[in-house]
Amino acid sequence: MMLLQILPDNFEQILPALRPWVDTIGSSAVSEALGSVFAEIEVFHLLGLFMLAGSMILVCLRLIGVGLVEESASSIWRNTRVFLHIGVAMVLITGLMIGTSNADKLYTSVAFLVKMISLVAAIIFTYLVTAPVAKADGAAGGQAKIAMIFALLIWAFSLVLFISKVGLNPGMFHILMAGALMVLATTLGKTRWTFAIGLALALLVWQVLTHTVLAETEAPESLDAYMLTNKVFMYLCGAWVLAFALLSILGKGGPRTSTAFMKTVGYASVLVWVTVAAAGRWIAFAS
Amino acid sequence: MLHDFIVWVESQWGVGQTIFQRSFSDALEQSWNFWSLVEGTHVLTLMLFFGTIMMVDLRLMGLTFRQTPVSVLSERLLKLTVVAFLILVATGVLLFFAKAEDYYHNFWFRIKMILLVAAMINIYVFHKVVQKNQAEWDTAPSPPMKAKVSGLLSLAAWCVIIAAGRFVPYPDYHCGTPQPEWVNAFANCAESSKGAARLDGSIIGAEGY
Repeated sequence: MMLLQILPDNFEQILPALRPWVDTIGSSAVSEALGSVFAEIEVFHLLGLFMLAGSMILVCLRLIGVGLVEESASSIWRNTRVFLHIGVAMVLITGLMIGTSNADKLYTSVAFLVKMISLVAAIIFTYLVTAPVAKADGAAGGQAKIAMIFALLIWAFSLVLFISKVGLNPGMFHILMAGALMVLATTLGKTRWTFAIGLALALLVWQVLTHTVLAETEAPESLDAYMLTNKVFMYLCGAWVLAFALLSILGKGGPRTSTAFMKTVGYASVLVWVTVAAAGRWIAFAS
Repeated sequence: MLHDFIVWVESQWGVGQTIFQRSFSDALEQSWNFWSLVEGTHVLTLMLFFGTIMMVDLRLMGLTFRQTPVSVLSERLLKLTVVAFLILVATGVLLFFAKAEDYYHNFWFRIKMILLVAAMINIYVFHKVVQKNQAEWDTAPSPPMKAKVSGLLSLAAWCVIIAAGRFVPYPDYHCGTPQPEWVNAFANCAESSKGAARLDGSIIGAEGY
């Protein structure tokens, strides 16, 4: 609990010296001009995200041993890398524009802080881990493994922030569901059915509890029960997804053509970008 | 009649059966987290949907995976696209349900729906016409013009659908705000609770309509 209390809430807490600069940007003509086309810029921000996601999904599924198995990972990387680069460039450039038009909101947003931390992890993963591993069809040099440890640690930190911040932590549901979809795509037969049925049951019981049983009363105590139920089920579903993802990575109930390392890279590379996207979406909801 | 049904769904259906006596629609719209999670799921699922369909469309246009047969790429990726599409439809229906009248009279929402139908027609035409002789060009690095056009139309349609979806919540072209007559007519604003506001300041319809 004390550890959670020392975690930062936003960039203003970490970099308070930037406040005058943020205020200057916020009152500038450039900020006003960009604000007038905010929606249009956002469209390109999203399209860039979806474009890079397409590349990452194809490469990562192949690293895991599913998807476009007729092609090697290096072939898929060659065919999709230009769209990855364009997508990353689009999100970064439009992101700067959005930030300029919205400086104060982002400076004080915990979701934006999580997004930026996970973005660092995502860039390291994509270019220093996934790219070299895919280009080498699964072989990994020492540099890629070291980069992966750093990226995983940074990503883990962003997830700790995500889970611990009230108002933001419901957004973890998106990462959980993305993980669930990956498990469904990468497991076979009984393993897949066991996973799917277990998750479906958990989600059903969760929704019944929070929308009927616990929704029966307007008493303040019901809010505590509601929040506790959300936490319990989020952790339960998270553990379920993680357990089956590990099973899949270790080659049980899924394809055995890839190594555990390749599968870990595949899973993490997609989910770290989902973390970036989920945190980005929750900038509006968590404020 | 459709408008009346939508108003009933949004304001009446479920009243008395939910906490605070709200309708089901209002309960969803005013939920603590559920609506946000549905909306977030809708947007994030586009990573899977657009990411995969983009690759298939680019292959049809001969711009990537030129050494991979179109049938192989389609067979491997379109399963994922369909799963994503089903999630998009389910979440889309819930989102519409939460603010039915607003969306029904929303300019950009109507554009989105029209283009969605156009994209479906394009898919149908592709399967019925373009794909008929696919065996002849399946492995060609550069597919024939009809396949390229189909891929281009598909990609363009989905880009505009995404753009239109992003514009929906912004106040431009909303009923009740002064705008050109053709916008009011397209969104049928005169029938809505906010009315059709003209550029000269007059309003047709609105509450008490």
